[in-house]
Amino acid sequence: MPIIAVGATTSRYFSIIKEMNLLYSGDIIVIARGSIFVQAVPIGGSLQENTVDKVKHVEGVKAAVPMLCVIGLSTYKYSLAQLVPLNVTIGIPLGNWSFLVGTTPLRPGGSWPSTDSSQEEVVIGTYLAQRYSLIVNSTIRTKNHELRVAGILDTPSAILTRTIIMPLEVAQEIHGYNMLINMIVVEPQEGITEKELVDRIEEEIGGVKALTDDERNEIIEPILRDVEAWNLGIRSVLFSISMLIVMIVATTNVSERKIEFATLDAIGAPKSCILRMVIIETGLIGLFGCVGGILLGVVAAVLMISFYASVPVSFVLPDLFVIVTPTMMLGTLLSVVVLSCIAGVIPAMVAARISKTEALR
Amino acid sequence: MKTLIVKAVELTRIYHLGASVIVAVNKANLEIEEATFVSIMGPSGSGKTTLLNLIGLCDHPTSGKVFFKRKDTSLLTEKERRKIRLLNIGFVFQTFNLLPTLTALENVELPMALAGIPSNVQRERATQLLETVNLGNRLRHRPKELSAGEMQRVAVARALANDPFLILADEPTGELDSEMGAEIVKLIWDLCRKRKTTVIVVTHDEYITRISDINYRISDGSIKRG
Repeated sequence: MPIIAVGATTSRYFSIIKEMNLLYSGDIIVIARGSIFVQAVPIGGSLQENTVDKVKHVEGVKAAVPMLCVIGLSTYKYSLAQLVPLNVTIGIPLGNWSFLVGTTPLRPGGSWPSTDSSQEEVVIGTYLAQRYSLIVNSTIRTKNHELRVAGILDTPSAILTRTIIMPLEVAQEIHGYNMLINMIVVEPQEGITEKELVDRIEEEIGGVKALTDDERNEIIEPILRDVEAWNLGIRSVLFSISMLIVMIVATTNVSERKIEFATLDAIGAPKSCILRMVIIETGLIGLFGCVGGILLGVVAAVLMISFYASVPVSFVLPDLFVIVTPTMMLGTLLSVVVLSCIAGVIPAMVAARISKTEALR
Repeated sequence: MKTLIVKAVELTRIYHLGASVIVAVNKANLEIEEATFVSIMGPSGSGKTTLLNLIGLCDHPTSGKVFFKRKDTSLLTEKERRKIRLLNIGFVFQTFNLLPTLTALENVELPMALAGIPSNVQRERATQLLETVNLGNRLRHRPKELSAGEMQRVAVARALANDPFLILADEPTGELDSEMGAEIVKLIWDLCRKRKTTVIVVTHDEYITRISDINYRISDGSIKRG
């Protein structure tokens, strides 16, 4: 039984992150919905910063914001097992924060970096703040820069908790991307469809690939479908195995209690009573097994996420009911109990057919 | 004139074990009236338990008939036979056959629950029966917490739960020492005299034959009044 809950609670979450990381070579960032995402071809390459000016001149573009996204992967020997990068640096021109993080709030006491370019200010995610004991106004020293922490993002998002958002120029200097960026986020003007704009951008500017929301989803969808199919397959196999196990347990239970059922039959208990008794018992076996399985599964999910994403357990806990939703738990519980009851039908029939004369000898 | 409770006419039960044919009960005839204490004695394998199963409607005869209060049981449906077993017959088994997960009180309540008696009446009657068999202080004990004699007393109380007019006891002293066995037999005898219940006991125990109103002896499936 425990296997079911582990499968149901963790595999989807991990598989999606893993597949997305494989597809984008780790370059996963959060882009505000409704924006167009322009990236160099092949994906992972870089663009001249002035490409953004060309994009701005394309008819139908309301705003275009250049970004530099650099993934910091662990050099730790077990980094291959790591599904989420250690940190993500995102450079974005001052004042354009909302393009990246939408309405993500900051922790109390923090603010977005000022628009004064002489101030080298950054916003960091909660994981980085905790890992490096950083608070608002702390200083991060790196490559001749002293970056003041202006704010800390108040979000449990696996990516954003380990993100450093800083002015584009600072990011370029720190990571050696002189006048280079690796993506542009475009906001279309009203009245123009994303598709039209994407076609125009790709036509007018060579060497770039523009993706709408739908196109981004189209890239991911087959992978998600595969993941879902795999999960469905795994779940079906696990459910079948668990049904079989429940049936074996119930059959063993019945065969060990032959005299009990024969006695019930002898003293006049209706067959329906014996059938009901065994089916309820089997349902209870499923119920208790499933409750235990869900508890073990949740603990396993928390530990696995903590291990693979290199975050403390305390980071995962607030998000627990997002990963393992109460609906999912209830659904698993109900389906296991129903399946267990079904699995109990054959043992119940065996119990009801036990010959009282044989068993009472 | 006493009412005839059980009548067996040319009762025969044959088993087929592979190629061999075993005649467990061979044309048995007996008549048992109400409030009679009957013992059936015989060596192992003589067909005692088979005869008891046939009388108790737990088994179907190969030929012959069992009449229950002059009613031909061969004409009854399985549901009707089950109902007679539940309401009119009490069983006492050699190995007690109490349900291990239930307390003494619940074991006695069980036949009443199956008969649809209200739970408050069940509780009251079960408590009374257990007090009658001197187990008033063992109501909440499970079978594993009871001695063999106590378990058999619970089984006797359970057999009496639905106030049956026939008690069938299959070697009720078989698992008990002679002193405890005698105590249990005396208990059954007393209760049945008071309640005017008919008792049929299958036994090896000579003491039971001494206190019985009628003795039958069975050998190779054939029964004779002894």
